[in-house]
Amino acid sequence: MLGVVSEIPVSQSSPANAELTAVLERVADGDQLAFGELYDLTAARIFGLVRRLLVDHAQSEEVTQEVYLEIWQTAPRFDASRGGAMSWMMTMAHRRAVDRIRASQAGRDRDQRIGRRDITVDYDDVAERVEITIEHERVARAMTRLTELQREALSLAYYGGLSHSELASYLEVPIGTVKTRLRDGMIRLREELGVAS
Amino acid sequence: MSDRDDELSRAASEALHAFDEPQPDAVAPAPAGFAETATELGLAATPVQPPASLRADLMARIALTPQLPRLEEGADAATAATPTLAVPAAPAVPTAEKPSEPSGPSQPSHAGPAERRAAARWRRPVGVLVAVAAAAAFFFGGLAIGQLQDSTPSTGQTQAEQLADIAAAPDAQRAAAEVAGGGTATLVWSGELGRSALLADGLAPLPQDQTYQLWYIGAEGPVSAGTFEASSSGTTWHVLEGQMSAGDVVGVTVEPAGGSTEPTSAPIVQIAS
Repeated sequence: MLGVVSEIPVSQSSPANAELTAVLERVADGDQLAFGELYDLTAARIFGLVRRLLVDHAQSEEVTQEVYLEIWQTAPRFDASRGGAMSWMMTMAHRRAVDRIRASQAGRDRDQRIGRRDITVDYDDVAERVEITIEHERVARAMTRLTELQREALSLAYYGGLSHSELASYLEVPIGTVKTRLRDGMIRLREELGVAS
Repeated sequence: MSDRDDELSRAASEALHAFDEPQPDAVAPAPAGFAETATELGLAATPVQPPASLRADLMARIALTPQLPRLEEGADAATAATPTLAVPAAPAVPTAEKPSEPSGPSQPSHAGPAERRAAARWRRPVGVLVAVAAAAAFFFGGLAIGQLQDSTPSTGQTQAEQLADIAAAPDAQRAAAEVAGGGTATLVWSGELGRSALLADGLAPLPQDQTYQLWYIGAEGPVSAGTFEASSSGTTWHVLEGQMSAGDVVGVTVEPAGGSTEPTSAPIVQIAS
């Protein structure tokens, strides 16, 4: 699968990395208008991810605001040589969403939260869907190449925000097994998506 | 498991944020590609456009939120990769700079002019101006601060843009002060624009028959700069009405609903520009 990277189409909703990096550089210089541009380019993706994890709309707004404030504050520390701009922002969004899940009362209702979402990559409520992204199709296809157990563990971890111990409890397997599934699932997914390793 | 397997396992779980406890920073660089792979999972989530109010509020908030200084060349990269800031942050003095080593005779300075200027801008007003504000309070009983409100949708955008203009002005300064009765207020102003805005955290909501009122206090005495209500969500911000003159003190009083033509009570906070 190496070599596929250059063939990855850039969908309209996923701004090209060079464009994002350029805007982020201006944000790093304190350019507030650039921050507005950055927000416009990425907000639907960030909010979409946060809402996917948190489900609750109000909490998702709060966390999204936290994410963008952190982006503003730490933009001068962004290092393009260490990864892409979108990856930097999405990582921040995912971490904050996970933190919120684990800190919140709702985190205790793990089974209920799991029950409310598909554990595979799937569509959210259709009414609020902006578009089906190219990334979605690519990831959904790549996920079919994982074993059922890998896919389940990976989806619960990433989209459900479950930790090792929560996964072990929910899946009724030892933590070591959880880690192995996540590891092998990520290696496989990385390969299928053609992400350089 | 082999060391390599352990390394991959750790990297995979980190990319998924699946550890129960925060992990110490990795000594070696993580195997490439897991963060990007996780990002692909994130991009596969359905995009959802957040409400317009979120953007307006953010634009206002960043105007009052300092940025971290850039890292020096070769500085701790792990810190840069895993920022762990408390957000939302009240405007604060940057703390990330290393203390200077007096014994280092040839310590190079990597801070660019822009960074130093930015850092100075953040550092300058707080201590000194709080003292000035306190002095102003001594001879004048009523001060006003800007109203900051999670603005109504109709005015939020405009207020946010005004606030952004003020904070982005080349001569923009800011100063903070404690609010009597609880909370913190920060004034940001531009002498060139003759405008200012106030941000307040933890401001108590008032009964319906009362309002917060802002005042510009200069040589001519206090001039009303508008009224505002405390936001229920903790942070209130407001662009002051009217023209600010150099040296004006901005104060906030609690007034009867509708506001007063001159202050009728002692200021709960005042900040000198």
